[in-house]
Amino acid sequence: MPRILGVDIPNNKKVPYSLAALYGVGLKRAGVVCKECQIDPAKRAYQLSEEELGRIATYIESNFVIEGNLRREIQANVARFKEIGCWRGYRHARSLPCRGQRTRTNSRTRKGKRKTVANKKILRK
Amino acid sequence: MSRSSRKGPYVDIKLLEKIEKQKESGARAPIKTWSRACTVVPDFIGHTFSVHNGKTFISVHITDNMVGHKLGEFSVTRRFTGHGGTKKEEAK
Repeated sequence: MPRILGVDIPNNKKVPYSLAALYGVGLKRAGVVCKECQIDPAKRAYQLSEEELGRIATYIESNFVIEGNLRREIQANVARFKEIGCWRGYRHARSLPCRGQRTRTNSRTRKGKRKTVANKKILRK
Repeated sequence: MSRSSRKGPYVDIKLLEKIEKQKESGARAPIKTWSRACTVVPDFIGHTFSVHNGKTFISVHITDNMVGHKLGEFSVTRRFTGHGGTKKEEAK
């Protein structure tokens, strides 16, 4: 497993897909990295030389915010919303969707697994 | 769809005038407003608004973190009081 910036990336995948294992690097950015570092995107991750890994690492480090730093940045933004008491902060605090989506159905990503209420229909009558 | 940057942020002109007046007189009374769509600009910092939520006015003190948000974001229009159940109704 090659290591990039303290994270192991999968061995047998092509370089862009392998790089996408980093938090903050998706396929789009991974493609950019390959292009800028002049690495053949058809190559597999285990075929990367030490020198190529170094090139990738320096490029990513100087251009993107990734992993822990990115997580911290996002957390700080959410904390700001909560602190100023705005609507988005309120929605984050209750882990509900923040951007005006419906919550009558769906939004399971935010709300988590369904909590079934026993006899809901009977009680309503 | 966001607002065209050519127009700049939407700020209620009347509110700006009131802020100007307050700055001159030094008074810091809360400004009553219905203008929930008005963007918070740096001039507002330190002033207090009473933002209408459709029913009452909620006082909002503007800090520097709030710049760029709309006034309405700080004045909640609906409050979730929990789902009703027989237990809760009995408690009342």
